[in-house]
Amino acid sequence: MALTFQTVIGLEIHVQLATKSKLFCACSTDYIGARPNSNVCPVCLGQPGSLPVVNGRAVELAVMVGLALGSTVQQATRFHRKNYFYPDLSKDYQISQYDLPICAGGRLSFRDDDGVEVSVAITRAHLEEDAGKLVHPSADGRLAGARYSLVDYNRSGVPLLEIVSEPDITSPAHARRYTEEIRRLVRCLGVSDGDMESGSLRVDANISQKVSDGRWGSRVEIKNMNSLRSLERALEYEVKRQRKVLGEGGEIRQETRHWDDGEGKTRPMRGKEEAHDYRYFPDPDLPPLIVESDRLKGIAAVMPELPWQAESRLVSAYGLSDDDAKIFAESADTVAYLDGCIRAGADPKRAANWIRTEVLRVLNEQKIDLATFTLEASDLASLLALVDGGKLSTTAAKDVFDVMVRDGVALEPAMTASGVTAGLVEGSQLEDIADKILAENEEAVEAVRSGRDPKGKKVKFLQGLIMRETRGQADVAQVEDLLRRRLI
Amino acid sequence: MELFECSAADLARAVREGAHSVAEIVEVHLGRMDRLEPVLSAIVTPLKDEARARAAALDIALARGENPGPLTGVPVIVKDNFCTRRIRTTCSSRMLENWIPPYDATVVSYLERAGAVLIGKANMDEFAMGSSTEHSAFFTTSNPWDPSRVPGGSSGGSAASCAAGYAPLTFGSDTGGSIRQPAAFCGIYGFKPTYGMVSRYGVVPFASSLDQIGPFARTLEDLLLAMEVIAEADEKDATCSRALRPDFRKALDVTDLKGKRVGLVREFEGYDIDGPIVDALARARAALLDAGATVVDVSLPTVSHGLACYYIIAPAEASSNLARFDGVRYGLSAEADSLIDLYHRTRKAGFGPEVKRRLLTGTYVLSSGYYDAYYNKALKVVAILRDEFARAFGEADVILAPTTPTLPFRKGENIGDPIKMYMSDLFTLPANMAGLPALSLNGGYSDGLPVGIQLIGPRWGEMEIFSAAAVLEKALGAPRLAGGDL
Amino acid sequence: MAVGEKEVRHVAQLARLEVDDGEVAALVEHFNTILGHFERLKEVDTSSVADVLDNAVVTPWRDDEVRIWENRDEALAQAPDRDGDYFRVPQILEEA
Repeated sequence: MALTFQTVIGLEIHVQLATKSKLFCACSTDYIGARPNSNVCPVCLGQPGSLPVVNGRAVELAVMVGLALGSTVQQATRFHRKNYFYPDLSKDYQISQYDLPICAGGRLSFRDDDGVEVSVAITRAHLEEDAGKLVHPSADGRLAGARYSLVDYNRSGVPLLEIVSEPDITSPAHARRYTEEIRRLVRCLGVSDGDMESGSLRVDANISQKVSDGRWGSRVEIKNMNSLRSLERALEYEVKRQRKVLGEGGEIRQETRHWDDGEGKTRPMRGKEEAHDYRYFPDPDLPPLIVESDRLKGIAAVMPELPWQAESRLVSAYGLSDDDAKIFAESADTVAYLDGCIRAGADPKRAANWIRTEVLRVLNEQKIDLATFTLEASDLASLLALVDGGKLSTTAAKDVFDVMVRDGVALEPAMTASGVTAGLVEGSQLEDIADKILAENEEAVEAVRSGRDPKGKKVKFLQGLIMRETRGQADVAQVEDLLRRRLI
Repeated sequence: MELFECSAADLARAVREGAHSVAEIVEVHLGRMDRLEPVLSAIVTPLKDEARARAAALDIALARGENPGPLTGVPVIVKDNFCTRRIRTTCSSRMLENWIPPYDATVVSYLERAGAVLIGKANMDEFAMGSSTEHSAFFTTSNPWDPSRVPGGSSGGSAASCAAGYAPLTFGSDTGGSIRQPAAFCGIYGFKPTYGMVSRYGVVPFASSLDQIGPFARTLEDLLLAMEVIAEADEKDATCSRALRPDFRKALDVTDLKGKRVGLVREFEGYDIDGPIVDALARARAALLDAGATVVDVSLPTVSHGLACYYIIAPAEASSNLARFDGVRYGLSAEADSLIDLYHRTRKAGFGPEVKRRLLTGTYVLSSGYYDAYYNKALKVVAILRDEFARAFGEADVILAPTTPTLPFRKGENIGDPIKMYMSDLFTLPANMAGLPALSLNGGYSDGLPVGIQLIGPRWGEMEIFSAAAVLEKALGAPRLAGGDL
Repeated sequence: MAVGEKEVRHVAQLARLEVDDGEVAALVEHFNTILGHFERLKEVDTSSVADVLDNAVVTPWRDDEVRIWENRDEALAQAPDRDGDYFRVPQILEEA
C-alpha cells in the first residue's frame, strides 16, 4: 500500500516591537538606514560594567499581544541569559525569557483559503533582545577576496516578542495564513509594523512528517524566509523533500536549513553543526519583572478592537460581506475611518464600497496611510449623502472626490472647482446639451431617423454621450424621452 | 601631622576653610604614593597629571566661591575594575591592559560630583578573582604592615593604598569578601553595603548577584562620609534600590548600645581561627557589653555550605559576564584567520590561570545536565541560608564574627592551593550570599600585624553596624596609618 | 561523578577557551577536587524551597524615551579591528 504523510509544522515568529528606545537601554530602535554603530551606548555595545534596564513600553506591548491571543499574562516573570558566542551578540549572551515567559498559552483561530476554520494553539510569547547585524562584504565586492565580516550593533537590543506556536499547523498554506493573522494582529495593535521584508517580522519554521507506517521524520528548522510567499514556498519544498526521502526509506537529518529564494531550495546551514548548550540561567542583573494587576487592567482597558472582533462587527452591524469585512479589519485605521463615515451619517455599504475602491486606491497611488490622508471621514460622508439623496451621480461624485483629495478642500469648493452642481440636469439645460450632442453626431442621428438602427444601438450611444456630458446628473428616463421626441 | 595622615573629613574641612589648597593636598598624597609605591605596588595606573589638573580646576572653583561638594579636594583611589572614561581600566588583566572605557562608572561620577580627586587606579586580583592580589596579571601588591605578606584581595591595592596613606578614601568591590578581607589584612575599615545600596553600573562585574561596591577608610567618620556620597539610587542599575538612604553619619553620635543585642554565630566556633583573632573578638565583645549591649547566640546551620554555594554561583555568573571578552569590540584580540580561533586564542592569551579555572568551573556547572545538581541546588541552599539569617536577625541586631580565619599570609603561601586560598573567604561570603551589609574593622594588632573583625547587619541594617562600630572605635581606637617604617 | 579530560575539553570548547594539553591534567584534578566539595550540598534538604521568584526587589520599568549617547566614537576607537564605522571580525562561514 502506498505511504501517506501528515505534515506537522510549528512556527516561531519574532516580532520587533514598535518602541522608540531599545529593550534594555535608551538608544533609538530606528536602525534602518542609520550610520553603522550610531544608535549605540555602553549597554547595547556590551561594554564591560554596563547594565540593562527594562523598557516598560516593550512589556506593555508584549502584554497586549498576550491579551489578544488569550494567553495567560504571567504576573511574575523574569529574564534569563542565553549564552553563546557570536559577533552580533555584543555580550556573547542574549537576554531572553526561559522558564517564565511573559505570555503563556493562548490560541489563534482563522479561516483558511477554503473558508475552513483553523485553530492553532500558542505555546508562549516571550520578550528578548535582538542581535546586531553582520555584513559580509565579499558579497557586494567591496572587499572582494577579504576574509572578513563587519558588525553593526544598531539593531542590538531592539525589543523582540517571540511568539511560539504548538506544532498544530498541518500545511504550508496554513502556516502562511497563521503568519498573516499574526501580522494583522500586531499591526492592528500597533505593536509592530510587521514588515517581513525589512525583518520586523521574522518566521522560523519547524517542520516534520508523520508517515502512515508509523515512522516520524526528524524535525527540521527552516530559516531565512523573507515574505509570506517564500514562507509557503519553502515549506512546500520541504514537504516534498522530506516525503521523498522518507518514501525511499531514508531518514531525515535533524538540522537547520536555509531557504534560498532565488534557487527555490532549502539547504543545510554550514558551520552550525556543534550542538548548542545555551547554559540558560536567570539574569542576575534584572530582578523579577512584575506586571501588577492594576497595570494589567490598565492595558486591557486601552486595547483596541482586535481584527477578528472588528471583522465580525462589520458583518453584523453594517451588513458588510465577509470579504469586505476582512479587507477592512486588516488595519485599525481603516476600520476607524469607516466607523467615522457611518457615524457622520453615511450609508454603511456605500461608505464601505467607496473606501475600498476610492480611498484605498488613492492611498496606494500616493503611498501614504490614513493618518496622512487629507480627506476627513466626515467630509466623505457629506459627499456620499449627496449621492444617496440623488443630488449627485456617482460619476460626478467621483470627480468631486478627486478634487477634494487633490486640493485638500471641503465639499462646496470642490464642487465649484469641478463645475458640478447638486441636483438634476433637466429642462432647457438638458435640452441644450441634447441638441449639442445631436448636432455633433449627425451621422448617428441620420441613421436613426432613416430607420437604420433596428437594435437601438445608436440611440443608446447618443444617450450615453448625453449622460456623460451631464456627468451622470440627468435622469435616464428623461433623456430617453427627450431623444425619442428629437429623433422622430 | 602630615597631610597624608589626615582623614578625608579633616582634608575637606581644611579645603573649605582655605587652610590648604587642593593642589597642595594632592601633591602631598602623590608624594606619599611615589615614596611607598616601589615597595607596595598598589597602583596599576597613577593619575598624576589628571589629578593635578583636577586640583587646579577645583582650586579655581573654590576661589570663585563655589563649593563643589562634601569631598572637595579629597584624594581618592578606585579599584581598577571601576570604569573611568579616558583612563585605562585593566581589571589587572592582560585582556584589558590597554582598554580605555568610553564611560564612567556611576560611583566614579558620584565621587567626582562630590569634589573628590581621583589619583590612581588600584591593583587587584584579575577580574576580582582572588584573595591576595597574587592573581593580578601585572604584579602582587605588598601588605604595608609587612611587605613579605599579601594585602588580601581582591581589592588589595585599594586596601593597601588607604592603609599606607596614598589617599584617605579608596574604593573596591566585594563579591565574597574582596573588600573586607583586605581591609582586615591591612588594618582599616572596609565596608560591603547591602546588595542594592550602591550602584554597580560601570564596575566590571565578577558575579552580578553578589558584587557590591564599598569604601575603605581609616576612620569611621570617613567611611560614613564616603557612603553618603556613593550610596544613592541609580536608574542605570535595576538592582540598585530607589529608596532614600539613611543619614549614615548620625551613627557617629552613638555612645551606648543599651537594648542592642549582639549575636555570635554558634557554627563559627568550630572553625580553626588564629589566636589573635579570637582575642580581638573577645576585646570587641567586652567593649560592646560595656556599652550596654547584650550578647546572644545565633545559629546558622547551613552556613558551612556557603563556600560550596559561592564557588558554584560566582563562577557560573562570571562565565557569562566574562564571555564578552572575545577580541571583537575592545581589549586584547589575538591574530586569527577564523572566528573560532579569534575567540579561543584571545581568551587563552588574555585570561590568567585562576580566571580560567573559574570560567571553566562556571561553564561546567551551568552546562546541560548539571544545572539542577549545582547551580539550582546552590540557589536553593542560599535561600535557606537567607532564611536562617533572617531568623538570626530576629534575635540579634548585629552579628560579631571574624573577618578571616587567619592573619595576613605570606606571598606564595597559598598560591599553589586554590582551595586553601578559597578558605580565606569563609567568614565573609555568607554576607554576599544573603545580600547583607558587613563591615571589617581593626580589632587590634598582633606582632605588628593588624587583626580584623567583622560586623554583619540585617538587610538595609547599615545603621546597626555603624552604631556598633562607633562604640568600638571609641573603645578600641581608630586604625593606625601603615607604612611608617617603610 | 568524576570528570575526565574529555569533559574538561568539552567545557573549554563551550567557554571558547583553548587549553593546552599540559593544562588539562591540572584542570581535571582541580575539577574533581572542587566538585567533591560541591557534593556536600546534597546533604542539605532543599525540598522545602519553593521554586518561586524572590520578589523582594522588582525590576523597574523605564520610560520609552530615546537618549543619544555622545561617546560612540570613543567606543569605536577601542575596536581591535574595524572598517570605518564597523567592527571587523574574521569572516564567518555560513550561508550568505
